[in-house]
Amino acid sequence: MIFREAEDRDLIRKARRGAVEAYNLLISRWEKRVFNYLLRLVRDREDALDLTQDVFLKAFQNLGKLADDSRFGPWLFRIAHNEAFSLLRRRKPEDGAGAEPSGGEQSFRMFPVELSLAVERALDRLSAEQREAVVLKIYQGFKFDEMAEALDCPVSTVKSRLYTALDLLKETLAPIQTRGFQ
Amino acid sequence: MSCSEDDLKDFMFGELDEAARGRVEAHVRSCRHCQEELDRLRLTGAALNALREEEMPRRIAFVSDPVFEPRWWQRLWQSGPKLGFASAAMLSLALVFSAVYRPAPQPVPAAVDPAAIEQRVNAEVAKRIGPAIEAAVAASEARQAKKTAEMVAAAQKEAAFERQADRARIEEAFDYIRKKLGTFYMASANLGSRQ
Repeated sequence: MIFREAEDRDLIRKARRGAVEAYNLLISRWEKRVFNYLLRLVRDREDALDLTQDVFLKAFQNLGKLADDSRFGPWLFRIAHNEAFSLLRRRKPEDGAGAEPSGGEQSFRMFPVELSLAVERALDRLSAEQREAVVLKIYQGFKFDEMAEALDCPVSTVKSRLYTALDLLKETLAPIQTRGFQ
Repeated sequence: MSCSEDDLKDFMFGELDEAARGRVEAHVRSCRHCQEELDRLRLTGAALNALREEEMPRRIAFVSDPVFEPRWWQRLWQSGPKLGFASAAMLSLALVFSAVYRPAPQPVPAAVDPAAIEQRVNAEVAKRIGPAIEAAVAASEARQAKKTAEMVAAAQKEAAFERQADRARIEEAFDYIRKKLGTFYMASANLGSRQ
């Protein structure tokens, strides 16, 4: 992890001086994580891919504003968070939080295993903020302080969202777990 | 330690320090309810982790575009060593400029003595005034001599002209007299022949 941060810092420094190739290398190290985070939030592959491109473009244009290169991860996910919620706000009239996803059938075809399908459905029942907290913690492995930095809110708020989501998931997934792990 | 679901969740996520982790582990060993709750949390976590991370449909990469590249001064400003070098170069340039264009120091004037200056001025005047007067007189005499010579020359020229005019008048008078004498002689001769 330390080596990764050191390499990221080097790439960020070069990218800030206009080295596009260095930035492309930096993208290759983060794009999958950002894409999956956005995919879990917006639940549409094309939207997630478009947003991922926008995130990296904005990050490149604003690299000069990144005060601490070692905080690139939370800073990048802060941009991703803003992009995702901007899209979700635009969508809201047609697709409220907690409703069944309109493109759900497509997602389910990608994950035929029953457990994966159940997890997808359980995640979709969460609010966007709760789902985001789960994604950052469970799938991206962020620490609470990094999540707070990325979401621009106190650690207590992050923990509250995550633990509420976890309780809901625990209830939703309990029958599946019982069958799946027997 | 009392039962706390938040502590169990912090424990599961590895967000507790070593001391707190030890306390929760000890409590879970002695509390059946918390043991079951921790098992449920771990099962939920395991179920969530069953969801695979998806591959990117296509990779993202940017091409080099001058629009996005920083200006030369931005690159210079963002580069510590280059900025330091530029500062040193500017300082060196300023030193060279100052050395080349700084005015030379003026000599400090000695103390002034009016009496000595007056004496020197008088001596210099006395030294220069004699030759200056002689030169002025000589020049004036030369101018006068030249003017006199010119006047003499003009007078001589006028006298010569007058003499020439007088000679012409005399010659003219002689011619008249000669003609009169001739006429008179002819008349006398005619008169003598008739008598």
